[in-house]
Amino acid sequence: MAADGTLAVPTAAGAGSGRANTLQRFARRRSTIAFLMTLPLLVVVVGLVGYPAAYGIYLSTLNRRMTGFMEGDWLPTGLGNFEILFDSDTFWMVVWQSCIFAITAVLLKALIGFWLAHMLHHIPTKGQRKWRGMLLVPWVIPPALSTLGWWWMFDPSYSSINWILNIFAVPAVPWLGEPWWARASVIIVNVWYGAPFFMIMYLAALKSVPEQLYEAAAIDGATSWQRLRYVTLPMMANIISITVLFSLIVTFANYDIVRVLTNGGPRDLTHVFASYAFQVGILSSNIPRGAAVSLFMFPILAVCAFFVLRGVTRRNKEQM
Amino acid sequence: MSATAANRGIPGIYHKAGSLRAERRWALWTAYISLIIACIIFLAPPVYMLLTSLKSNAEISDLTLNPWLIRSPTLENYEAILGNPIFIRFFINSAIVTTCVVVLTMVISVLAAFALARMRFWGSQVLATGVFLTYLVPDTLLFIPLYQIVGGLGLLNSVWGLILVYPTLTVPFCTWIMIGYFASIPKELDEAALIDGASWSQMLLKIFVPVAMPGIIAATIFAFTVSWAAFVYPTAFVTTAESMPLTIGVVSQLVRGDTFAWGQIMAGALSAALPPVIIYAFLMDYYIAGLTAGATKG
Amino acid sequence: MSNNGITRRNVLRNGAGVVAAGALSAPMVHAQGTGGTLKCGFWDHWVPAGNGIMRELCAEWGRANRVEVNVEFITSVGNQNLLTINAQAQSRSGHDVLSFPTWEPAAKHELLEPMDDVMGRLAQKYGAVTPAAEYLGKVGGKWAAVPAVSGTQLKPACTRFDLMKEHAGLDMQAMWPNKAERGPGADGWTWEAFAAAAEKCKAAGVPFGLPMGQFTDAVDWVGALMNSYGAHMMDARGNATIRNNAKLRQAVEMLVRISRALPDDVWAWDDASNNRALISGRSALIFNPPSAWAVAKRDQPQVAEKCWYAPAPAGPEGRMVGYLPYFWGVWSFSRMKPAAKGLIEFLSERPQAERQTNTSSGYDIPPFLSMSDFKIWETEGPPTGFAYNYPVKPHQNQTTSVAFAPAPAEFAVQAYNNGLNTKLIARIVQGGETVDQAMGWVERELTTIRRGG
Repeated sequence: MAADGTLAVPTAAGAGSGRANTLQRFARRRSTIAFLMTLPLLVVVVGLVGYPAAYGIYLSTLNRRMTGFMEGDWLPTGLGNFEILFDSDTFWMVVWQSCIFAITAVLLKALIGFWLAHMLHHIPTKGQRKWRGMLLVPWVIPPALSTLGWWWMFDPSYSSINWILNIFAVPAVPWLGEPWWARASVIIVNVWYGAPFFMIMYLAALKSVPEQLYEAAAIDGATSWQRLRYVTLPMMANIISITVLFSLIVTFANYDIVRVLTNGGPRDLTHVFASYAFQVGILSSNIPRGAAVSLFMFPILAVCAFFVLRGVTRRNKEQM
Repeated sequence: MSATAANRGIPGIYHKAGSLRAERRWALWTAYISLIIACIIFLAPPVYMLLTSLKSNAEISDLTLNPWLIRSPTLENYEAILGNPIFIRFFINSAIVTTCVVVLTMVISVLAAFALARMRFWGSQVLATGVFLTYLVPDTLLFIPLYQIVGGLGLLNSVWGLILVYPTLTVPFCTWIMIGYFASIPKELDEAALIDGASWSQMLLKIFVPVAMPGIIAATIFAFTVSWAAFVYPTAFVTTAESMPLTIGVVSQLVRGDTFAWGQIMAGALSAALPPVIIYAFLMDYYIAGLTAGATKG
Repeated sequence: MSNNGITRRNVLRNGAGVVAAGALSAPMVHAQGTGGTLKCGFWDHWVPAGNGIMRELCAEWGRANRVEVNVEFITSVGNQNLLTINAQAQSRSGHDVLSFPTWEPAAKHELLEPMDDVMGRLAQKYGAVTPAAEYLGKVGGKWAAVPAVSGTQLKPACTRFDLMKEHAGLDMQAMWPNKAERGPGADGWTWEAFAAAAEKCKAAGVPFGLPMGQFTDAVDWVGALMNSYGAHMMDARGNATIRNNAKLRQAVEMLVRISRALPDDVWAWDDASNNRALISGRSALIFNPPSAWAVAKRDQPQVAEKCWYAPAPAGPEGRMVGYLPYFWGVWSFSRMKPAAKGLIEFLSERPQAERQTNTSSGYDIPPFLSMSDFKIWETEGPPTGFAYNYPVKPHQNQTTSVAFAPAPAEFAVQAYNNGLNTKLIARIVQGGETVDQAMGWVERELTTIRRGG
């Protein structure tokens, strides 16, 4: 979109060459006006993202009381917090859990979203709106609040899910008590919340695939699997990759579900970066170390962001 | 669940060409069955929340009853919630924060998007990319330095602190949506306006805003839902009940240490979720347009 | 606040001389006497009536002293109170009177107004303070905050006497009757007997509901058991005392044994889960103040009628009961220090303390040992007198204990908030580590905490 927007301008300027004089003045004033118009945005981007990011890096080098730099044993002064994190089992556990959490959840969301979008696309257009409306509900409720509902459904003594399982003679599941179940629960809630978003994105993409392509494929005698493999997937590849990468970022940085559902327990086995940073930085009032923990998200997010950005620009080029 | 259905479904669709009608019917059946299953799973938690909110404490704590049924529905939880002054306070706080943030966001992003989409100036391309990158920076990455900054400004425990930081969540994406919409407006329109001697502000207000109205509504809904549901910043920056917005207020104040208030918690959570749900019910198409803006525009 | 002062001054100038004289001579101790607003942040009580009485007492005091008292309640759910304390310490502004849990007065003592004058006067009237409160509240010989009545709780055993008799063969009512004497078998109420009872109850399908997560209920009971074995993880100078610590190993083995007799998901229980376990009738024993009973009385009265308090079981080094105190403290940056101290003193006096305990169904434990004879604990029921043994009384031979004592507060607070003691057990029982591996882990964690200091 960036390319799109800026390319528009030369055309506009070129078209008005008949009145060069006025337009030149206009152009001189134009950049001033444009700058003023983007100034609030600049303030937000620089003041509330750029500056805090730099300040966060600075913070992470301080000691607990923020009276000086944090000293390290084998890393240079200022990197002591990172050194302590490298030495801590809990921290590595958090890294690994965040990765499992984000990758599993995003994969499931993408699969379920794709499947549902496909199913929605299959049924007559008349009914689609109704189904789409119902299926999007999890995405509409603020996740912190719907997680409260899940929490209550997972309650050890009163679990309504276990009640249903009991009907089928399945033993009660310790949803939040056993580490793997607790991780699964966090993932289930995240998938429940996020799958509708994928569904709606894929549905939009499916609708943009030209019908003629399918007709052509049908004439060639392609089975539905082949149509999916050779028509639908290639046409949607870009949206799929952008959605997945974007969701990876959001899921990786998720906080509210873990906070409400498990608070990191049992014994820190469901902590992800955000909840651990909160625990260390704000609850145990070790702000510098908390800042150091959340900075670890950065490289992973940067890789995702790079690919998303590349996808977006490539799409733009294709469209033009 | 649906994922496993997917694996079963695909070989099922695999038929020889010719029995096209049978294949169609089969596909339709699969579609409806998976949609019904998905709907049950997707709607079970909110429905269960609603059921719980309509039960009395004694009924909730009675293990011998079927948790999915209500024996004697009661509105006492809703009465307790809505009669609770602190809950009303949460609601007002949320309304103040959300309104201010939405207005602020829309002003900032419409102005900036217009400038970025239609006026070339030094660094505009870099800035447009930068805005998009900011959107990819999650709130959990920066809440600790922001905590220090907001604290330094003396805005911890204040709705103004939230109004100050929420735009980081809303402005980048709204600007991005608006750039997309503005860019899709035919260039002939503004050329004509320029030749007629319209000023930039006239051009923006008389031409671009009306034409891009669907985009503006979509962006407004986005800004509204995001600031209504924001969780990380208020958890970190607001600790007194007095200035809490709804989400964090319900999570931290209604969940009482060791007593049964599940009916009230669920009533509170559902009431807090109501505004976005209402907006969604009436403006679903704009809502979806906002969501998919990234996919269809770009 | 300043607005208030100005209007008041105007009123005075406008000739309300009589009122002014009254205001100045009012017994609002050494305060400037011109009112103002006193902002209080108390712990959001788990017994619903517990907040009402604080509001009432503050209003009474405010009327008598012509101070407007603004009362807020801050929950400990989701560590909201810790967040509040840290945020206020960070921004150097906030409430004038604030409730601080267990380790916070010591951790924040540099920012707190010393309370020696208040404590001196109170101690003169009411005698000694329970040892754990003194240990936590007194830093470097100075009281950093006053041990509170409202919110301070003990965690002795709240048993279902019917289930205990039926499945474990222990008659809790006979052992610990509702009078000041030890019944038959009271001396045998040890952790050994406790573990055996836990195993029998688990076999009978009514396991003990003891949380093993990171919340206070879990950390407190595990800490009490460790202390009753003389098992400490860190000494008073901040050195980890894990290696070759026979007492610690013995306590850990006992904890491992007990936790194998608990429900499967206790590792994720929060402070409410054990209450739900009792109220649902699925559990024969929990360690909790009477709030669980109070809810049961409302929602499941047939369960409440079968509840009976017993002191904590004894270990080789004594009978220790988990103690979760709150403290009333005043920030050194508060502008209402004299008034704040006046209110705290008022709330701590016996009549006011008794009213707090009464409205909270006996939940609140005053810090002064002389106040362990409030009538409420003998009369509350049904069953009448079930809470007789809830407070610490001389015949029980019991003392209050704090998890991670005697470690220095700045380290203990982190170990406590992280639940290092329950995690140690969880690593062995749930994570399948050996005792040595788990001990090695906890030692590393303690070193990390020390280094970050």
